[in-house]
Amino acid sequence: MLKVQEIRELIKLVDQSSIDEFVYEIDGSKIKMKKNSATTVVSQVSRISPEVELVPAIQQAPAKQAVSASVQEIVQEAAKPEVSTQADTANLHKITSPMVGTFYASPTPDADEYVKAGSRVSKDSIVCIVEAMKLFNEIEAEVNGEIIEVLAKNGQLVEYGQPLFIVKPE
Amino acid sequence: MQSELRKKLLDAFTNAGEAFLSGQYLAELIGCSRTAVWKHIEELRKEGFELEAVRNKGYRIIKTPESITADEIRLGLTTNIIGSNIYYEESVESTQKIAHHLSSENVPEGTVIIAEEQRSGKGRMNRTWYSPKYTGIWMSLILRPNIPLNNAPQLTLLTAVAIVQAIEEETGLQTEIKWPNDILLNGKKVTGILTELQAEADRIHSIIIGIGINVNQKMDDFPSELQDKASSLSIEKGEDISRSGLIRCIFKNFERLYLLYLEQGFFPIKLLWEGYAISLGKNLKARTLTNVIEGKALGITDEGVLKLEDETGFVHHIYSADIEV
Repeated sequence: MLKVQEIRELIKLVDQSSIDEFVYEIDGSKIKMKKNSATTVVSQVSRISPEVELVPAIQQAPAKQAVSASVQEIVQEAAKPEVSTQADTANLHKITSPMVGTFYASPTPDADEYVKAGSRVSKDSIVCIVEAMKLFNEIEAEVNGEIIEVLAKNGQLVEYGQPLFIVKPE
Repeated sequence: MQSELRKKLLDAFTNAGEAFLSGQYLAELIGCSRTAVWKHIEELRKEGFELEAVRNKGYRIIKTPESITADEIRLGLTTNIIGSNIYYEESVESTQKIAHHLSSENVPEGTVIIAEEQRSGKGRMNRTWYSPKYTGIWMSLILRPNIPLNNAPQLTLLTAVAIVQAIEEETGLQTEIKWPNDILLNGKKVTGILTELQAEADRIHSIIIGIGINVNQKMDDFPSELQDKASSLSIEKGEDISRSGLIRCIFKNFERLYLLYLEQGFFPIKLLWEGYAISLGKNLKARTLTNVIEGKALGITDEGVLKLEDETGFVHHIYSADIEV
């Protein structure tokens, strides 16, 4: 299994080389990198395992699974043609969680989500709720723009500073 | 909202105790005419206060009404922050909604919105909280603490401790806390607390604590499906309880614990909370949005997070769940 550092090294090497496509397979996990219109497209997505009620400190047990899951995601992300180039990423705004708690995409379980990919938001639009110990924190977008991606799942435990949404500001 | 004059008037009666206060004295104290004092006294009478007026001596309050108007709460209130500003309403949709609105108008910390009735009280996940007129305490408290946002949930546990202590002080009833902050009496829920946070990025603008306490409901007041889950202080005690006295006592205990928390952090609050917790060392079920975890409650972390040990010995950290004891 490759470490993040090693993957980063690989990306650099591929980037500087004349190779267009690079595939690495081990133990059923696969890393695939592909250059797209002269720009290397790799998106590193680090997600905590989907088990909702665990804190990272005690998540050592399923670590192997988690890592292969995230590598799998790298493959998927890299395969998406619309994933932004590095130049674009710099302009995107990430809405992060200001506290540890449960992510709720909608005000009530049977209501519609506050926002989806493609939703237009203004600075004070509510995009989700993060709750812990019955303290409900309605998270605002803080920028005017369009939601590009929802990064958290309804009911998931999110960490302090964890990105929840990617917004393309206007 | 109460006028400044009315506040001064009631504070004067609070300080005077049994003694009479002359119209002249009150007029000078609050800076108005004796006629204006007389008008204020008449308004107090309309609210249900009984005042004794004796020639050459003045006024004293001999009986207070069993409503929970701002005046009624103010008389006897000893706090500096909590309840320094009280908005009273007969009937509202939800005190939380009003609190949100007032909070954005920058009302001072400690402002309380209190109502005799909530037509659509809010519980967790927008479950309706049953809050009929004149029987309970339905209120929202606005705080503006200078603490890291990540610590804000600790205040919900602090609130539960303040209310448990106030109930015991006022009624002698010993209630227990079910994580994180439901208050149970003989296994039935008598108090619910729901807190909302307003923030800009990492900075807390306000924390709005919604509190619902079943005080003087009778068993018939509860829908039949709730009768084995919910109760009131009055049902369990066998007599009615003064709501305003209980509110003042909650303000007093809350203020003491809040100042302690701001000075020393969560640790002293955690010790108190664990002392009142119903389920520590016992097996319980934590029902989350996505699954159910069964295990033994080991306690709470220094953040207030519930530690639950399942049968494999794995310790789950619970941030959000409905607990079934």
